[in-house]
Amino acid sequence: MFSLGFVDLKESIASWRLWTLLGWLEVRQRYARSRVGPFWLTISTGVLIGSIGVVYGTLFGQKMSDYLPFLSISLVMWSIFSQTVIEGSTAYINSGQYIRQAATPKLIFMLQVVWRNLVILAHNFLIVLLLLVVFGVKSWATLPIFIPALALYMINALWIAMVAGLLSARFRDLPQIIAALMQIAFYVTPIIFRPTALNRFSLIVRLNPLAHLIELVRAPLIGEWPTPITWAVAIGMAVFGWIFALALTGRYLKRIPYWV
Amino acid sequence: MAYIELKGATLDLPIYDVQGRSLKKTVLRMGRRNTIAEGTDGVVVVRAINNVDLRLEKGDRIGLIGRNGAGKSTLLRMMAGIYSPTYGSVVSAGKVVPLLDISLGMDENSTGMQNIRLRGLLLGMSDAEIRAKQQSIAEFSELGDYLDLPLRTYSSGMRVRLAFAVSTAVDAEILLLDEVMGVGDASFMHKAQDRLADLHSRAEIVVLAMHSNSEIRKVCNKALWMERGHVRAFGPVEEVVSQYEAQD
Repeated sequence: MFSLGFVDLKESIASWRLWTLLGWLEVRQRYARSRVGPFWLTISTGVLIGSIGVVYGTLFGQKMSDYLPFLSISLVMWSIFSQTVIEGSTAYINSGQYIRQAATPKLIFMLQVVWRNLVILAHNFLIVLLLLVVFGVKSWATLPIFIPALALYMINALWIAMVAGLLSARFRDLPQIIAALMQIAFYVTPIIFRPTALNRFSLIVRLNPLAHLIELVRAPLIGEWPTPITWAVAIGMAVFGWIFALALTGRYLKRIPYWV
Repeated sequence: MAYIELKGATLDLPIYDVQGRSLKKTVLRMGRRNTIAEGTDGVVVVRAINNVDLRLEKGDRIGLIGRNGAGKSTLLRMMAGIYSPTYGSVVSAGKVVPLLDISLGMDENSTGMQNIRLRGLLLGMSDAEIRAKQQSIAEFSELGDYLDLPLRTYSSGMRVRLAFAVSTAVDAEILLLDEVMGVGDASFMHKAQDRLADLHSRAEIVVLAMHSNSEIRKVCNKALWMERGHVRAFGPVEEVVSQYEAQD
């Protein structure tokens, strides 16, 4: 059961040329024949951060030079996470044509989603870099932590996408439910507000695993060290999540062609 | 040594869109060919392949015959490893290349050249293999400068030519073909037949589903007659095909 899932994962990683190509094609297709191309992503994210930043920064009484970098990192990082999960939930369904015609490993369709969203992140990240340059880097020492933090973050996003995709292929109501849940998660997770800003109901932040995940990738960029608890939650989720996701994938791998 | 072995292979296809009792009855009335039953969870289940025992060895050129809905395409997909059997087993050795859908992995907005790569990767070619064969694929397709234009500008004949050129460039030990005839115009058709013949000679095992009995007599040495998911007859091509013709 578990080993079947693991074998599929190994084969999927080995055919990286296929999923990177499929991922690229999708990004390109979305922006085909537009002059600015995928940089529309950068522009729209920039406008979003600018407008939310000014309104909520004022509402929360924040200093713009602190709040704008905070917000930009939160929003960009949240968007890659939620998009990976939401698109992951429809990945098998949308790749049905491929799944029914060729015996490729199945997890390539999940890796394709992650790859596509990493490409999109690279475009959105320009805004973060710009704001870091304008408002200055708080601490250089914490910056390198961002790399392993991002890897761990995406590893978590991937297993959630794997589970979501598999269940959604069988139960077609799930993609809608998952999209709605991600919307709610956006509001209860400290993305536009600071984790410390909730002086009542702080349980919402402390017991929310997503709050720890977002903190993990945000802290190094705003000059803070992620706390040991944050690391523990992220690593724990990754380990148990992957065991669960691989077991589930292994169990139902052979059913996917029937479902899509 | 390439082979495919099916032992008591049975395939139940769950049909999720068709649920409920009244619908089930309608389906039962419509499709007398297949065994249609309802699973425990209310999902309609079609037994597409029923208890097939078969061993295909090197040198076999098998023609799959049978009426529409007899399970020919499903059997090919099972041999390709796309569907795994519900009961029994399917074991194969050797690189299996299924050519089931001529339009697999064609991207509208990519150029012909990019599509060669995409389809090649999907069919299990390595990057080096694709690069080595790109030129010959391009030549075979006769598309010339059109290969640098996006696929959406192609006529349907041109698409088929490109898809056919890529698919038949794969080195297969076991080749599974599903009704791939009828490509392009008359001159290309001729070329395509030569190419298929060449492909047949290179592959160790060929399984071919076709409705043209004369074609099957020409290229196959064995025939497999499927009926309602069962093997009705399997043996030397002449024997089985004439039985099939007599019954029809």
